[in-house]
Amino acid sequence: MDPITFSIIRHRLFRIVDEAVITLKHVSGSAITNEGHDLMVSLYRADGSLLMGGVGFLHHLTSAAEACKATIRRFGDDINEGDVFLLNDPYTAALHTSDIYLVAPIHHGGELVAWSACFVHVYDIGATNPGGFCPDAPDIFTEGFSSPGIRLVSGGTVNRDVMDTMLNMVRSPEMVALDMSSMIACNNVARERMLALIEKYGHETVDEACRTLIGQSEELLRERLRELPDGSWQSRQYIDVKGEVFKVALTMTKRDDRLVFDFSGSSPQAPYAINCTRWASLGGLFAPLFPLLCFDITWNEGVVRPIEMIAPEGSIVNCTRPAPVSVATVGAIQSVNNAACAAIGKMLDASEKYASEATAVWHANHFAVFMFGRNQHGGEAIGILTETFAGSGGARNFADGIDVGGEIPNPISRMANVETLETIFPLRYLFRRRMTDSGGPGRYRGGAGMEIGLTPHDAPDGGLHYVVSGKGADFPMSEGLAGGYPGAPNSYIWVKNNEAEPDPRNTDAGFSRSVDDLPGEQERISWGVFPLMGDDVLYVRWNGGGGYGDPLDREPETVLEDCRTGAVSRETAETVYGVVIDESLSSFDPSATAARRKALAAARIPAEAAE
Amino acid sequence: MSRRFSTTLEIEAGEICCRKCGHALGPAGAPWKRHAAMTEIPMRGAAGVPYSGGERVVLRRFACPACGALLDSETALPEDPFLDDVLFD
Ligand SMILES: [Zn+2]
Repeated sequence: MDPITFSIIRHRLFRIVDEAVITLKHVSGSAITNEGHDLMVSLYRADGSLLMGGVGFLHHLTSAAEACKATIRRFGDDINEGDVFLLNDPYTAALHTSDIYLVAPIHHGGELVAWSACFVHVYDIGATNPGGFCPDAPDIFTEGFSSPGIRLVSGGTVNRDVMDTMLNMVRSPEMVALDMSSMIACNNVARERMLALIEKYGHETVDEACRTLIGQSEELLRERLRELPDGSWQSRQYIDVKGEVFKVALTMTKRDDRLVFDFSGSSPQAPYAINCTRWASLGGLFAPLFPLLCFDITWNEGVVRPIEMIAPEGSIVNCTRPAPVSVATVGAIQSVNNAACAAIGKMLDASEKYASEATAVWHANHFAVFMFGRNQHGGEAIGILTETFAGSGGARNFADGIDVGGEIPNPISRMANVETLETIFPLRYLFRRRMTDSGGPGRYRGGAGMEIGLTPHDAPDGGLHYVVSGKGADFPMSEGLAGGYPGAPNSYIWVKNNEAEPDPRNTDAGFSRSVDDLPGEQERISWGVFPLMGDDVLYVRWNGGGGYGDPLDREPETVLEDCRTGAVSRETAETVYGVVIDESLSSFDPSATAARRKALAAARIPAEAAE
Repeated sequence: MSRRFSTTLEIEAGEICCRKCGHALGPAGAPWKRHAAMTEIPMRGAAGVPYSGGERVVLRRFACPACGALLDSETALPEDPFLDDVLFD
């Protein structure tokens, strides 16, 4: 077809998704959607295959395709103009029950021509714990409302009976109703813009452009894969739940124009909600694959075709019903995503042409802390600490990871302002800042994570409660590349100031500037529901990104600058980077540094190997 | 002619070699880590205060036995196997 028309249609498809995302944000009232950008909008072909992958959490692009396909299987010929279907069952297509898909058929001239789909993490889903992450859920039945497909809107009219039934099963139904409205509006805008495109160019032309676009993506990815060396690369991720360790093991094999992700060797499914279903694992591996291998290729069905996944049934990456999965999006899905990111990074690093596209792992310990309780305005508030979306960048072979640089699976992730959280919750931030020594050391340093301290403030009930879940705090997860160290692990601490003796330093815990200034006993936590009452403090520190290359190769001037900005401590500068810096951080000692580096390199060679 | 294996390694005359000094680490097409100098250090405290995780977690550092260049590193539990990367012919 005429390349100009093709290009215009391609760009219009991008803009349709963009405009639908704007609509979603404008109608939604929750910080997780508006400020954390925990959302996704994409367009699909009439058969449900991915046409135009949008921004937001990329884990959802292929899962929402499956949601469209499941809707087609269930409703067959009974899919009509103006319908919207809800699907959030993880064993059908969704990632976990809280991430509701609304999928909407787009008809032209009475014919089904495309689908739009979106998700938000809804305010509540009626699960055991407010907000939907249920660390101790024994099964899917306790993880809230779950539908394998239900018609929410018929021919443009909301089915009140269906909507009210759903809203009857959740906390804060007015907020969940707003979530639903935002997704309906988002799909409406996607449909209107898609129809305007078809009106202008005609269905056949648009359809041909879509087919061409998918064929082009497939050809481009296959061509890229052929350029990369054939080989196999392994990676591993650990999850810690209350002292029990679970593993996601990956061997990624590339031959010619095929890429196989084999998760054999991963742990059997867990009794905890960290498990994920097959569709979720597929989404998890595509999340880094889209940006790392297809940075200049349109994300659609064409990219899916050369990829194969092996995920043993009954394992943590392909669990069987009714295993609990509510923590999956900060559990096994993220581990799959991290493992894929690490393996793809090593494959790219094996190529002269693509080594500069390789990255160490970003913000691998994405976590979830959901606050809930009565707030200063007299209402019930539920919401995530959006800090988890702030992330930390992995280092590359030409640059440091970006401090607090977001995360690979969500190119538009970000965190809310301190004031947003303090407005919604009866809480006060004691501090929120970049964390020293959190970025993985390397010739190029991993980006730093952050640390925060939260204490109750103006709380009618004296405080509130929170649910913490994720992959634990025992393991670093943002693996380094080419020798670079992993970023530091997460840490969650409950500081019990209420029970503390009066502080001899005569400081007020309510104005402490670091966790070390707090008088109370510190308890390491990472899983479950906890109180935050009175003068107690919740301290959260999140991981840095992985480093790249040998830390002994980092320019001493750069390490000195790291110390001055607080990214690296003087002690780590000496013990890991081998750079000897004076106490006032004014300079480094070149000869002491050379000697130190020589000694550190020699210490890596055990005596028996040095013969 | 040498062929890239990674930032730190290359394949030269059928052998995987350190890119800094050329020291050979076994045949191409086979895992190389058992030919490297490996030090396993506790992850806790490995690179500053935030490295505060579990006691059993280790950082494996694979270095060139000739020049001490750091070739690769991995997070592990002591009983877990090495992560092996292989390039096919
Ligand atoms: Zn060497």
